[in-house]
Amino acid sequence: MRSNKRVFIVIPAHNEAQVIGSVINGIIKLGFKNIIVVDDGSSDDTEMVAKKHGALVIRHMINRGKGASAKTGIEAAKLLNADIVVTIDGDGQHNPEDIKKLIKKLDSYDLVLGYRLHPESKMPKTRIIGNLFANFFTWIIYGLWVKDSQSGFRVYSKKTLNEINLNYDKYEFDSEIIREIVKNKIKYIEIPIEVRYTKYSMNKQSRQTLVKGIKTIVRLFFLS
Amino acid sequence: MPISIYRIILIGFSVPIIVSRLVRFFKREEGQSFYKLFSTLIVWMPILAISINPQIAYYISAKLGLGENLNTLIFISFIIVFILLFKLLGLIENLERNITNIVRKEALKDIKPEK
Repeated sequence: MRSNKRVFIVIPAHNEAQVIGSVINGIIKLGFKNIIVVDDGSSDDTEMVAKKHGALVIRHMINRGKGASAKTGIEAAKLLNADIVVTIDGDGQHNPEDIKKLIKKLDSYDLVLGYRLHPESKMPKTRIIGNLFANFFTWIIYGLWVKDSQSGFRVYSKKTLNEINLNYDKYEFDSEIIREIVKNKIKYIEIPIEVRYTKYSMNKQSRQTLVKGIKTIVRLFFLS
Repeated sequence: MPISIYRIILIGFSVPIIVSRLVRFFKREEGQSFYKLFSTLIVWMPILAISINPQIAYYISAKLGLGENLNTLIFISFIIVFILLFKLLGLIENLERNITNIVRKEALKDIKPEK
């Protein structure tokens, strides 16, 4: 029975003022009240918009990266006694409707990973190739093949939150979870999620690019 | 044997760098450490020595069995540069993590823990 559990939705956001409001609205509509937006040193009105839409906003005074923001959000949720933490991207690429589907899986698992690469998803070809490369290098480094090592849509049980130790600040944070699965023998499952690539998400400055992808791989190799 | 221009340039670079580091270390200036002194000497002393007497490179090459040419020197230099780069990467990463920890602490200071 999950209904009496304290669920926190963590949204790392950097310069997402244009879309963060609709992301929060979509989550509130589903009945989730505990929404934490981590404003990662945005130079736009992300903080103001998120507050206006009813989220608890935690602000990094300077930009520290997606991984650092997710960890700050998770730490805040732990302080607020969360039983379940859901991380979801702030650019609107994830469908909040999937949250319940993923949370349901926590009845049998301790960590649920959303994956975008499935026949129904409309992932652009460049993203598919980049994703496969990231999956391959994550497998080489940590020895576990997952369908989407770079997905930001994940659900953590309290047990998992207490077990994992995350340190990376940038996109390598997503692969770091895979290391923690192996290290702590976490019971996990991968669930297909809807992904919505819009003109906005494809053009934004902070998206994962080829150069950032190469940097991520180098950092994973040398700092693991 | 007349001294070539590249040797003059290398001596001109290495002597001030070594002397300045030694002076700053022994004056116990702020931010100076034995590690910094050691790093400077390990990189610049061989450069100075070989600039003064290039025969040293041939001697090392012969001893290592890598042939009597400057390839050995280039090879060793690459290794040193690689080690230093790796060390630097690690130091930068540590700094980044410390900055993130400070930023996170500041961001979470108003959150009151619930039980």
